[in-house]
Amino acid sequence: MADQALLRRMREWVGRTGEPQVAGDAVDQPRVRRWVDAIDDANPCYVDAGFAARSVHGRMVAPPALLALWAQAGQPDGPPARVLSLLEEAGFASAVAVNCELDIVRYVHTGEVLQRAQALSAVSEERESTLGVGHFVTTRDRYTTTSGDHVGDVVVRLFAFTPGTGRLAPAGPDPDPAQRPRPGINRDNQFFWDGARQHELRIQSCSSCGERYFPPTPRCWRCGSFDMGHVVASGRARLYSWAAPHHPQAAGFRYPVVVGLVELEEGTRLVTEIVSCQRRFLAIGMPLEVCWLDSHPALLEGATDSRGAITLPQFRPARPPRREDTLTADVLAAGEELPLFVVPSDHDLDVPTSLGFCQRWISDWAGPEVLFDNLRVRFAAPSHAGRTLTLAGQVTTVDAGTGRTAVEFVGFDELGDHLAGTAEVTMPPDRSGR
Amino acid sequence: LTRHAYAGNTAIAGIGATEFTKSSGKSELRLALEACVAACEDAGVDPARVNGLSTFTMENNAENEVMRSLGIAELTHFSRIHFGGGAPCGTVQYAAMAVHEGVADYVLCYRAFNERSGRRFGSGVQDRPAGATTEEAQYSWSSPFGLLTPASWVAMFATRIMHTFGVTSEDFGRVAVADRKHASTNPRAHFFGRPITLEEHQASRWIVEPLHLLDCCQETDGGQAILVTTLERARDLAQPPTIISAGAQGMADDQQMMRSYFRDSLVELPEMATCVRQLWETSGLGPEDIQTAVLYDHFTPLVLPQLEEFGFCGRGEAKDFIADGNIELGGRLPVNPHGGQLGEAYLHGMNGIAEAVRQVRGSSVNQVAGARHVLVTSGTAVPTSALVLSQP
Repeated sequence: MADQALLRRMREWVGRTGEPQVAGDAVDQPRVRRWVDAIDDANPCYVDAGFAARSVHGRMVAPPALLALWAQAGQPDGPPARVLSLLEEAGFASAVAVNCELDIVRYVHTGEVLQRAQALSAVSEERESTLGVGHFVTTRDRYTTTSGDHVGDVVVRLFAFTPGTGRLAPAGPDPDPAQRPRPGINRDNQFFWDGARQHELRIQSCSSCGERYFPPTPRCWRCGSFDMGHVVASGRARLYSWAAPHHPQAAGFRYPVVVGLVELEEGTRLVTEIVSCQRRFLAIGMPLEVCWLDSHPALLEGATDSRGAITLPQFRPARPPRREDTLTADVLAAGEELPLFVVPSDHDLDVPTSLGFCQRWISDWAGPEVLFDNLRVRFAAPSHAGRTLTLAGQVTTVDAGTGRTAVEFVGFDELGDHLAGTAEVTMPPDRSGR
Repeated sequence: LTRHAYAGNTAIAGIGATEFTKSSGKSELRLALEACVAACEDAGVDPARVNGLSTFTMENNAENEVMRSLGIAELTHFSRIHFGGGAPCGTVQYAAMAVHEGVADYVLCYRAFNERSGRRFGSGVQDRPAGATTEEAQYSWSSPFGLLTPASWVAMFATRIMHTFGVTSEDFGRVAVADRKHASTNPRAHFFGRPITLEEHQASRWIVEPLHLLDCCQETDGGQAILVTTLERARDLAQPPTIISAGAQGMADDQQMMRSYFRDSLVELPEMATCVRQLWETSGLGPEDIQTAVLYDHFTPLVLPQLEEFGFCGRGEAKDFIADGNIELGGRLPVNPHGGQLGEAYLHGMNGIAEAVRQVRGSSVNQVAGARHVLVTSGTAVPTSALVLSQP
């Protein structure tokens, strides 16, 4: 039964703004550098004074997705904190961010001291989501410099709920890849599986004439030699064909499996599993890169045949290259797709890190001088620890006159969609005449 | 120019089959024997006079068991063809060579299994232990990655065909619709009285994207036998002879078993092209001389490149040839008038040879008018074989 008294008490705070809180420290380069290093964002506007000086910014700037970092000081008596403590007292003890929206007025610089004013925008009726029974709470944090210059806003929508009231079925155990069929290893293919164990993708190569073979053969049918060696592949490939088995289901796989036939940069092909790519984003010719699954423990310690430890090569969408110049709006069109971006799985994808990768991906695609006007992300499901997030998106609108460009995107992992979002960015004016 | 000596001098004298069911309730050996006896009865030949047997390496009923229970005193020829569905037309070619050479007088080609109620091919190879023989080790390049079933092996070709020629799932579906339409008027067929629509094809569940359930053949229990002898002997038997105008086996271009993924093109069937060349050269015929064809249809997609390899249409044009209704009864080239393996039964291609014989005799339930020369093919994506059968 919804508690109307609680709702009335919470809604007394709606529309109220707390006192501005001044950050303890100025925006500083070490924190910028630590953060861009952590997400491997190589945009020179953040770290290269020479480049930044010639850029649209005229000087080095902090990454826009970092806005919330510069005024972390809590505000225990502000309206949002009051409402959250009311919720906690009423048993809605867990809270997750379901939306985070950044509105950027201007980029901030090293040395600026920011302050934050927290406002409570809305408290929902009692709602039931898959997580449980609770209330959505929306806050808007306004960031200004100490001299009152408005630099941006951060809107966060939380869901505060009673633990244990949800309908979200716990994810079943992951398929155990050790239950997959093992390869049959013999004298002709031993080198391949020995290489895989060391995360090295090997291609058989004739030691006499250099001809490459897959599958391997004991005799080079170009020059007749029985002297066969191998070369190590770069791991870069393109998708040549694919199939997605749904039925029947074998142990050790998550269905549907995406099986790809990939053409390696070196020219030979390989059947492999395609990971970190939903089927709707598969495209013949798409660039891929190798990754490894240590699938089977040894059945016999030290064995290097089929009873030994097995590692399987898998392929995922290749990390797109970072653009060094910046796209102009006149070359863009609605519907244009951004390249898939696989976020390294060693990151804990909390809200700031997720936003950081969205920002990095868009600016890697658009170029270093793209200006973010806003970045809005909705989190569909709690972050799945240990999963690999892939970002996919497309241009929705472009205004060639102003350079204003909208992008919509999703982020998914093996279990399904994790986030969805939009960004509006401004491309620099066409400088081709310059 | 290839000219096979047995061609034109040998014939199919009898055909015989069991019922095609989903659960035979009989042993596989009994199915084989029933089919063999029926083929002999069709020809009017005492089974004891058979002195040659030809079958698949995958066949579970060994020649000695079949010989013993048919009451055959001695066998002078027994041969097996490898590579699963690539074998059926090859067994007939071997038989023709044997009788033409005088190695045997009457050769029964047979295939019988409880493929639906027993071990289903569609269940795949996931339960096979890793073997390291040359042949087994080839599964190392597919099984650990989830490519475990015949449908999945064919799907890899299908995706590439779609990409290369703009073929759609609906184009594959039209093959299924034509086969099931033909099956619907064939009382022997699983799909007797049950035609399907393209919408039903599209709505059927995924087996392996891009293949729907209705792109896949009918797993079957049953047996089929074909009796081969010389044309001279056949003239004196109960049925008008069906002349073996040409037979061929083919392997080509970095051949793999169902997974020839490493050759330049995945949209052509070079092993079938090897058969095509031999068939036309041996028979002196060409695509314009063929009135109806039984094309191997374990899955719909590889029917398309077969039409192209035999020259019934140009490369990449099979989808239009099919969409224009050419492969249906009444069309330019009715394909699988019995309903094929998608509609009648999956007898590893042997039932298609029997249908070709009925077409030549003029006795099919879906008779194509003026069927003088009939083409039959064996499996696609495997080392394969094919036949041209003709009226005397």
